[in-house]
Amino acid sequence: MCFFLSLSLAGVGCNSVEKKIYVHLNNTVPCVRLLNATHQIGCQSSLSGNVGVLHVLESEENLDWVLKTGPNPPYLVILESPLFTRPIMMKLKNGSSRVAGVAVVAPNANPPKGFSPHTTCPNENTGVYTEEYDPAFAHCNVTMWNPLGNGLSYEEYDFPIFSMKDDNDTQIIRQCYLDHNRAVNGSTPQYPLCAMQLYSHMSAVTDTATCMRRNDINFSISPEMVCDPLGDYNVWASTRPINNTAKGHKMFESVVIAAARLDSRSFFFDIAPGAESGVSGFVTLLAAAQALRNATQEAQPNRTILYTFFQGETFDYIGSSRMVYDMQSNQFAVDLDNVHSVLEIGQVCIVNSFSNLCVLLKTLTTASRGLNVSVEEPGFSQPLPPSSFQRFLRARPIPGVVIEDHQSAFTNRFYESMYDNAEYLNVSYPTNMTPEEQLEFVTETAKALTEVATMVARALYIQAGGAETQLSSINADPQTVTRMLYGFLVRTNNSWFQQLIPSDLASHLGKLGHTFLKISEPTLLVQYLLANLTGSTPNITQDNCQNQREDEEDKESKHVRPKALNTAPPNSTQREGYCVRSTVRLSKALSPAFDLRDYTSTNFSTWTESRWKSIKGRIFLVASHDLEADMLFSAGREPANATY
Amino acid sequence: MNLERLPNEEKLSLCRKYYLAGFAFLPFLWLVNVVWFFREAFFKPTYTEQLQIKAYVKRSALGLLLWVAVLTTWITIFQHFRAEWGEVGDYLSFTIPLGIP
Repeated sequence: MCFFLSLSLAGVGCNSVEKKIYVHLNNTVPCVRLLNATHQIGCQSSLSGNVGVLHVLESEENLDWVLKTGPNPPYLVILESPLFTRPIMMKLKNGSSRVAGVAVVAPNANPPKGFSPHTTCPNENTGVYTEEYDPAFAHCNVTMWNPLGNGLSYEEYDFPIFSMKDDNDTQIIRQCYLDHNRAVNGSTPQYPLCAMQLYSHMSAVTDTATCMRRNDINFSISPEMVCDPLGDYNVWASTRPINNTAKGHKMFESVVIAAARLDSRSFFFDIAPGAESGVSGFVTLLAAAQALRNATQEAQPNRTILYTFFQGETFDYIGSSRMVYDMQSNQFAVDLDNVHSVLEIGQVCIVNSFSNLCVLLKTLTTASRGLNVSVEEPGFSQPLPPSSFQRFLRARPIPGVVIEDHQSAFTNRFYESMYDNAEYLNVSYPTNMTPEEQLEFVTETAKALTEVATMVARALYIQAGGAETQLSSINADPQTVTRMLYGFLVRTNNSWFQQLIPSDLASHLGKLGHTFLKISEPTLLVQYLLANLTGSTPNITQDNCQNQREDEEDKESKHVRPKALNTAPPNSTQREGYCVRSTVRLSKALSPAFDLRDYTSTNFSTWTESRWKSIKGRIFLVASHDLEADMLFSAGREPANATY
Repeated sequence: MNLERLPNEEKLSLCRKYYLAGFAFLPFLWLVNVVWFFREAFFKPTYTEQLQIKAYVKRSALGLLLWVAVLTTWITIFQHFRAEWGEVGDYLSFTIPLGIP
């Protein structure tokens, strides 16, 4: 009809026919395919998208309609979040000839019961408890760390699974189902039916070795990259400058490693709030680093403290395995002989009253005054939880502590899921506050984490050989902690973060994905935060700052000198930038398996992520197959019951 | 080209050229030979060269059948087993489908 109109009425704008048929879905998040040495996990759609008749699932019994009795397969199932459970997903996976896809409606509030799509024993094959080292504790024999884990993230599905927010668009979808697809009183629903099409075709297949081989083939007409190894950068800094150009063992250097993890994941792509599993840990360490700034400069302890933030720990310890490997092969500024001990901050929780520390230690005891160092031996009844420290122990028996908020199994009910967010950590603000006010408001959670950070800072100071008399002057700043929590959990594009990072990146804050930079946004933010919180501000010109020297006459080699950054001062409308001198560096966090080209390695992480062309979804009304054939073969006849 | 207007010697020489050229791994020439000269060889009244043309057509048909059999077998095996051959399959392929094994 539209074409006739445009011919007869010149000058009238014609709506595209496509817009009249399809409603495109915004705000959808897919699940993508990941591969490792032996398996592929995640979802796959066909190249031209999976089309299915919509069905809003009402209960687990209603699955029969989808899997057995429904007359118009394949169905595209809409799941409300209470129904996104392992039994239902396994049934859908097994009946996948009649299932075209699944769309999960992500609720606005967290579910009351826990939900964790991760496995029950995270990183069970790449930690320190394997068959070779200590079979008694292997495969979570003694303690099941994640009892709520249903393992959904690690299953393979051959239909697409998308997540949609519960907003107006989703209401349109539900209404479309109720209008067209609902079977009333046992009658079968008549065509035209409401259908959805989901595109998430993944290029990689089988396992990492296959996809890396296909990446490398340069014989074909159009060489295509099909997958990328998971990798990013670790951030590290030291309280005393360490010469980074001379790699390998440093004489007379004894280092205490303070470690935390930066990353987390969820079932869906690029949604990884990780509030309790990741953010709480590294925010605490950042606050502790700031608390130690003055103490380590005025009354320097014997040993250097090395703050390390590892990326990729969720996927078989990518960051920490890389750092240990670099240390063993003399590619890092220090090596394992220089490491005195390790203190790691894992999941740190929230408390009701901030006077009561809800921090318990695994396997080792500590007083809030000092630190008893003891070696991790199987004499203790409790193994170490999944932590970066395990990779150090695989290489060498180094003394260390892992600070967690649970005695045996995790208390985190939403480990590695999209619900591990600000709401779960109780980061909440009074209503009617502007973003600026929210940024500065000190929440209860922030106060609790500040206590933990103070304890960690004091423990690190003692461990590094500092005097106990200095302890009372080491205190973490609750203002900094609350701002960091706001920035990482509520809104990344805030005024404080904007002041910290270079001006050319500040305008893209909140949208710095993998495609924009080589490093991810959290790593970048942590790098600049650490520089600001542990660095000093020398009084030099911008030109000198960018050339990394003190003044024009300074020709000294830059190797020992800490790096300088260029940021903006607060309270200025015009971004002028100032110089910060700090010891912060990035180190590559790519699994050694890819450097060694051992894609079937059992020692190192071999995770890769598939590439894809386009990811989108749309809904429309679909006609019966008979009608489609009719329209094709008898174009002269008027189509019979097609009402749209 | 219209075979009607050619003298018989030229028909024979054309048939022979196609027959011989087909040995250079060009079975399609044999197919052309068979299709083109079929009527000439079997449905025209006898003439001196027809016996030899008949022989060439028969031999081209034989060669063609052999090629078809070999190619069909190889293509079936390759399409069926390429995914299982892993590395060898990938190195033999010119274009590898994305997203399926």
